[in-house]
Amino acid sequence: MRAVWAFARMTVRSLLRRRTVWGILIVVLLGLIAIGHVPSFNVQTEGRFVLEFGLFGLEIGALLMALGLAVNLYPRDRESGTILPLVAVPISRGQYLMGRFLGSALVQIVALLVGCVGLMVILILNDLSIPSTLLPGTLLLLVEGLFLLAVVFFFSFWTSPPLNVPLTLALFVLAQMSVREFVGLFPQAPSLMRLLRLLLPHMDVFHVKDPIAHGESVPLLYFLLACLYGLAYTSFMLSVALAVFRERDL
Amino acid sequence: MRLPLATVLCVAILSLAASGCGKRIDYDVGEVAPPEHLSGPDEHPHHQHDQHGAESAEQMTGARGHVHTPGVRNHGTMWFFNQPWAARFIWSKILRDSAILVGLAILLLLLSRHVHSRRWS
Repeated sequence: MRAVWAFARMTVRSLLRRRTVWGILIVVLLGLIAIGHVPSFNVQTEGRFVLEFGLFGLEIGALLMALGLAVNLYPRDRESGTILPLVAVPISRGQYLMGRFLGSALVQIVALLVGCVGLMVILILNDLSIPSTLLPGTLLLLVEGLFLLAVVFFFSFWTSPPLNVPLTLALFVLAQMSVREFVGLFPQAPSLMRLLRLLLPHMDVFHVKDPIAHGESVPLLYFLLACLYGLAYTSFMLSVALAVFRERDL
Repeated sequence: MRLPLATVLCVAILSLAASGCGKRIDYDVGEVAPPEHLSGPDEHPHHQHDQHGAESAEQMTGARGHVHTPGVRNHGTMWFFNQPWAARFIWSKILRDSAILVGLAILLLLLSRHVHSRRWS
């Protein structure tokens, strides 16, 4: 475990040196500022608009950040040849994956928390109240971000970065669909489509921006359940990624 | 070694699909919801408006528009209450899937370790 943490710290340092990460964070914060500056025209529900779009912006930010962080990690290690001495002696392939994932996850978590604080500042500057469920809602977005990160790692072990991005985006879009919408994509084979949908994650489990924006209370049990679901899917994706990685010739 | 495994997976998926196993075990709220969740307390009784006017749960705000009581399930808020956080009856399915995913992750981890060690030994 000590080797994993040491490698994770190295990953954090190398990621923070990249301009991509800072660029995505700045874009997300600029997006939040833009949402806060949309004229309200004295509409009473302006707070809902800012919250809904702000949380949506954070979700898209989590997706972009996952792509920006992980899409190039393994391909770059492979191209530069640094992976060979790493997995030859000091760490195993599992430790390599966990170190890279934990390092990226730490950066992802901090970036999302910065985004959440940015949204709170914008709400305060617009004289709007901060709902008590905003932090648990952001926690679900964090878990969703970790899952997306695991997906990007999985794709990065058997595809090139230019293919990884559209595949992750496609999975993100398909995972937002309900069963009926997904079956409607190819209604000629409903059983097959149902089964495929069953295998895909349900991103709507992480979506609580509507109740947060409308002031509806969400039970604490649901937050815990959704976190458990997200972490379970993340661990599953990581184990699939590791199985693929272990089969690869470097 | 890879081809048979991929073939077995494809056959398994196709046979599961042919058996229609995806029906009612997924999260589609419209499919798995009990009738009381889908109907809800609000039946949108237009005819009652005519009888009771402003005293009903809805208030007329114009020739055609009307306002519902906030936080109540009705024809306009069905999408809102059909989300997982509001549909308690699918929470057990979320828990079930989480347990299956963790089990699969552990199984896959052990299997890939076994194959990997055999490959390099």
